Amino acid sequence: MDIIISFAIAVLFATGIYQLLRRNVVRSALGLVIISNAINLFLLAIGAYDGTVQSYAKAIGVRSDALPLALILTAIVISMGGFAFTFAMLYIVMRRYKTADIDAITELKN
Amino acid sequence: MASMDKHRYLGWASAAIPAGLFAWFAAQLPAIAAGAKLSYTFNWLPTLGLQTGFSLDGLSLLFALLITGIGSLVLIYAGYYFTPHNATEPATRPFSEARFFAYILLFMVCMLGVVTASDVITLFIFWEGTSIVSFLLVAYKYKDAEARRGATKALIITGGGGVALLAGLLMLANVAGSTQFSAIFAQAALVKASPLYPVMLGLVALGAFTKSAQFPAHHWLPNAMSAPTPASAYLHSATMVKAGIYLMARLFPALGGSELWFGLLVSAGFITMILGAVKGLFQQDLKAVLAYSTISQLGVLMMLIGWGSSTAMKALAVGTIAHALYKGAMFLMAGIVDHSAHTRDLGALRTLGLRKYMPLTFAATILPALSMAGLPPLLGFLGKETLLAAIEEAHGGLIVVVFGAILAGAFTLAQAAMLLFDTFSHASHPKSHPSEAANHAHAAKYSDPPFGFLLGPALLGVLSLVLAFDWLLEAGPITTLVGSAAKAAYGDKVKVDLALFQGFNLPLLMSAMAIAIGLGIAQYRHRLRTKFGSLWLLQPVRMDALYHGFMRSLEFTAKQATGLQNGSIRTYLSLMFIGFGALTLWFGAWRWPAIANPFLIEAQPLQALRIFSLLLVVAAALASVLARRDLTAIIALGASGLGVALVIALEPSPDVALVQIIVDILTTVILVMAMDRLPVKMRDAAYKIERQEHILTRLRHLTIAGGAGLFMFMVCLNALSGRPRNSIVTPFYEQQSKPFTGAADIVGAIVVDFRGFDTMIEITVFGVAGAAIYSLLRYATQKHGDDLENADNITQIADRPAVPNLEILGRATSTRGIGGRVPSALVQLAAQAILPISIIVAFVHMLYGHDQPGDGFTAGVIVAIAVGLMVLAYGQIDTFKRLRWLRPGYLIGSGWLVVMLGSLSPILWGQVFFSPFDFSVATGLDRFLPVGASISTSFLFEIAICLTVIGSASWMLQTFAREPAKITD
Repeated sequence: MDIIISFAIAVLFATGIYQLLRRNVVRSALGLVIISNAINLFLLAIGAYDGTVQSYAKAIGVRSDALPLALILTAIVISMGGFAFTFAMLYIVMRRYKTADIDAITELKN
Repeated sequence: MASMDKHRYLGWASAAIPAGLFAWFAAQLPAIAAGAKLSYTFNWLPTLGLQTGFSLDGLSLLFALLITGIGSLVLIYAGYYFTPHNATEPATRPFSEARFFAYILLFMVCMLGVVTASDVITLFIFWEGTSIVSFLLVAYKYKDAEARRGATKALIITGGGGVALLAGLLMLANVAGSTQFSAIFAQAALVKASPLYPVMLGLVALGAFTKSAQFPAHHWLPNAMSAPTPASAYLHSATMVKAGIYLMARLFPALGGSELWFGLLVSAGFITMILGAVKGLFQQDLKAVLAYSTISQLGVLMMLIGWGSSTAMKALAVGTIAHALYKGAMFLMAGIVDHSAHTRDLGALRTLGLRKYMPLTFAATILPALSMAGLPPLLGFLGKETLLAAIEEAHGGLIVVVFGAILAGAFTLAQAAMLLFDTFSHASHPKSHPSEAANHAHAAKYSDPPFGFLLGPALLGVLSLVLAFDWLLEAGPITTLVGSAAKAAYGDKVKVDLALFQGFNLPLLMSAMAIAIGLGIAQYRHRLRTKFGSLWLLQPVRMDALYHGFMRSLEFTAKQATGLQNGSIRTYLSLMFIGFGALTLWFGAWRWPAIANPFLIEAQPLQALRIFSLLLVVAAALASVLARRDLTAIIALGASGLGVALVIALEPSPDVALVQIIVDILTTVILVMAMDRLPVKMRDAAYKIERQEHILTRLRHLTIAGGAGLFMFMVCLNALSGRPRNSIVTPFYEQQSKPFTGAADIVGAIVVDFRGFDTMIEITVFGVAGAAIYSLLRYATQKHGDDLENADNITQIADRPAVPNLEILGRATSTRGIGGRVPSALVQLAAQAILPISIIVAFVHMLYGHDQPGDGFTAGVIVAIAVGLMVLAYGQIDTFKRLRWLRPGYLIGSGWLVVMLGSLSPILWGQVFFSPFDFSVATGLDRFLPVGASISTSFLFEIAICLTVIGSASWMLQTFAREPAKITD
């Protein structure tokens, strides 16, 4: 199973990075969301237990690892705020330069 | 003239501070001489074992007296210096030069810090302070390019030395096991035996050499002469440049006495001494002559520390005092001459014959000049005598050094003669003899300055004479001071006898030789200057090729490095990914994890479903790359996120899966809204440009992405196959969550209780994100006039259907959904109905979230999604008009307030901040609550999270759903 989930994460990463490198600003913003999903999957996979029941105090059986889940919970909400902010920034950039082509935005030079 | 007086008042008033300090320091002399050591220490960073403090011993006291004493005189002097010479010159604004006095006082603080610091860290901090204030003072006339260049050069050289010094001091402290000087001295043997000794000595010496203008870093000092003359007199002659001398003398007990120490300091000091003495004679500028003679004297002092005998330390103390007095006076004199004659060029000054017009100034210059020349019975003579006595005594009286010292003494005498006579006397050839009328004009133009202006140089000159007779007293102040300073530097008692005449001995003979040769050079100085002045080696500043070479190579490197920055963001990203991958590979080494059969997939319950959901995640993500339309890509991304939720649900972890689902929905909604604001033509143009991209560029990006994927694959496989299958932390949470927080849901307990502080910061960040988006889109675009609608090259939202005028229906036109379309009444009705239901669901989630799936995040996002539906159905303006209670800013703020109240209130019941606490049990209210519900800190926390999330998310919705045209309202 490890190898499958590693492969899935790797493909997600590759997809996200390919999106980031695209010229279209809208699409490269989407790359961030994909990478964030990949990282959450990674966190999920490193849990120590192969749980069969949810992580509740009174649950009987092998509980899923609560620690990475708590981290993911935090990460999901924070990254949503982060995405919204990134989109707002990109939106402003696109309005200011009147283009969605990242290579046309060259004022970073000098 | 009123303005003129104000600087004088400022000078006198500010001089009161150092004068008072001087008196205090002087009062400490008897105690210090008796062997007492004043110190004050306090803990600075106790966890790092860092102490800071100040202590006062003989050596510190010597420098402290010079700093405060000369400092007072310089401040008084500066008050006059910044006043125009006479009424015909343009008056300055009152206090326009107050900056200068502030700098000088600031410098004084730094310098006193350096000489009284009791540990290496404190010393270093003040040391850097002096470099910075020196920069400010050299660049004081910042409109002058020459001044800026000189200041930069001084800062780069002394600052660079400072970096070396820090490294050296830290090594020293590390080897000695303490930053305190006293502890370092106690470990001197250990320090000298350390293999790092040559390195640390080299680094510390580099710091001291750059600061004290030793060869080959000496050339910043002549350039620093663009500072106002009072600053030159104070910093670049009497005090700051002696910081390096002080440092080496201070560290002598720890580092000194070795062969390396001797070789390094004596050779650097010797070369500096000769170089300064010879080159000084060939300068045209009054201050440049003084600068080079200062360099020469600094070389002498450095050499003496290297010499390291007890007499050398005595000579060091005497030399420091003598030099500070006469050189300070000479600099101040140069300032007066410059102020009056408006030139410092020796050739020009010679034609003026200033002695006639400025007799008092001339008279005041005689004593310091004689002291500088090293003639008896002045302090300078004592300095030279002790120097010669020291170098002929120990180390077999190295013959080169002895002759060098005699030569340097001779040249210094010639410099003194030149400064005195060429500045004030008249060239004797008749051609330039002024007429009677010119004479009269000169008399009106050049005149002696007022008393206060002359006070500094005159007093310093008189002291040069009077203090030389200190030996007539029983234990006179100078003898005592020199004795205790030399003792502090040498580390043992030093016999001090400063009688002017000690019998006919070798030093006296050498002194006489120096005087004889010096008089000869002085006599033929003009001939020497014209004959050799054009030599390459003697040009004003020619030795700084090293500095310029360094600066050029720095600029070259910078150009190469920034050459990579071609302005393309994608290139930067690619380089970052490649660099990051290469570094990780370098340090992490490639290895295949220890898996017996990598393709074995062990049977697990729901394995097939898990693989399916992973497939969904990956396939949807790939679809978002390939999709032609942006909207399709966003929907695909949403599907991918739902796949992630499925994987989480299979973990199994229903509550995190729930959060993932609704956050994914909210993200998709916000993305679609943001997309809708962008003109279709713009997005189409970007798409078309992308289609035309060269195949090689695409291949390059595919390679980078593929490489990154492969890299992540290896990282994941290693991490996952090597991970411990037994957590240390999780069982703690599992056992403690119920008894400690009362929560059955362990994930929830971790989020709101165990890591409550973290979560509090998280909701703060989330709230700030909402506020930032609102202000960015609402105000930043408006301020910069980023108006897409008026863009020439893009025709805006024209492809939208025309909106029918709804006024006739008695409704405001704003009752339109997102994108200006009118949604059906059914959707509007549904949105109206769903919002209250969502609020109830949210409340239930919070109330029972502790034992069952659901929490504050879920609750908040559920309400936010319902608000999103309202926005879709009614448009944002109408939505927020209808929902008066929905005030995002207030919601975020009240959420934060509830967190604070909830986490602080347990204090009332004797608990600590952020401790889990059940109010309903404490107040007896739990009887009235439904089973499983409780009013506890975690419940309050859930409410707070919910409020903040609703506030922030609805702010985002409000902002993104806003029609672009409305932004300019």
